[in-house]
Amino acid sequence: MVNEVEKGAIRRFAEAVGDNNPLYRDEEQAKAAGYRSLLAPPTFPGTFDGGLDLREVLNIGSRSVLVGEHSLENHQPICAGDRIYVTTRVVDIYEKLGTGGVMDFAVVEDEGRDEKGELFFRTRRTLVVRPTAKTEASAAPATPTPAPH
Amino acid sequence: MAVPKRLYLESLRVGDELPTLVKPAIDRVQIARFAGATNDYNPMHVDETAARTAGMPSVFAQAELPMGFMSQFLSDWLKGGRLSRLAVRFVKLVWPGDVLSCKGRVLARRRDEQGRYYVDVDIWAENQKGELVLKGHSTGQLFYNAEDETRQRRGETPLLADVSEMSELPRNAKGKVVRPKTPAPRPVAAAKPISAARPAPKDLAPAQKSKPAHKPVRNAAPAKKAGQR
Repeated sequence: MVNEVEKGAIRRFAEAVGDNNPLYRDEEQAKAAGYRSLLAPPTFPGTFDGGLDLREVLNIGSRSVLVGEHSLENHQPICAGDRIYVTTRVVDIYEKLGTGGVMDFAVVEDEGRDEKGELFFRTRRTLVVRPTAKTEASAAPATPTPAPH
Repeated sequence: MAVPKRLYLESLRVGDELPTLVKPAIDRVQIARFAGATNDYNPMHVDETAARTAGMPSVFAQAELPMGFMSQFLSDWLKGGRLSRLAVRFVKLVWPGDVLSCKGRVLARRRDEQGRYYVDVDIWAENQKGELVLKGHSTGQLFYNAEDETRQRRGETPLLADVSEMSELPRNAKGKVVRPKTPAPRPVAAAKPISAARPAPKDLAPAQKSKPAHKPVRNAAPAKKAGQR
């Protein structure tokens, strides 16, 4: 799935994080520093769409999902104007028994390349799928649902 | 334009602490903005009623938000360098009102066979109660010094400096030492012997001891896929 890197999207992402790095906001400064255009922050690939509906693929319906781990390798800087082809793959699925019931885990990898096939980034996320909504719906006062605190 | 001050590997030592970045308190507006910026409107982050129905005390921040803080923290520190790797494990959820402090410590300095220099750092973030919310490690690519930068930018052969702590090994997200399967090939020009290619376990002990005192809560993530990458 192709993702076009837009200046406005870079700025909005950096603003949401509260990151005032001028390379993400000021094109002149980014160019003076040797970049093609505005530089995208290292975690900007998190905004990309890999063209895969994980809820559907993993068949998790409305169950809530948390990210347990996230790793990211940046091979080349991503700049405004780049066209990044993103592929999302589910590389592992397994389950474990937790305090609130059976927890499902999915390991998802994203990879971004340009049209020449050059690798720009690779990420790997471990998603934790909480037990079914049934357990959660009864999660009123006295249930053993694990409080996150 | 004035050339900003740069960070060079030459000035770093294993065990050096990175300057802490304290982020302003996270609020629901920031969480909503981040949802917009990532085009991910998971109700757990933006819909208070839905979050409570799911048994949560309130909405909570996306994991990628503190991940973005870590990226800011490291990129600011690596002035003139490049963040090439960032791996974190989320230990605790982050809530509206949380004030996160991003911290780090230099774990190793390395040079690869092409003469590029890297710094490996242990990183972690704590909330205002001093609780560990995430931990991991990261790698930045840097020039060794100004001379190395000039040479590499001109396309000349890089400076082959003796990085004495080169033997320190990087660690994975679980904090385990990642040993290279085969010793890295020695660059031709690096004739001087690098004595400690394989450190005695003793060498690593101080680095391990100096890790944050917090014991991460072992419930957020599985132990199975420990050594990914």
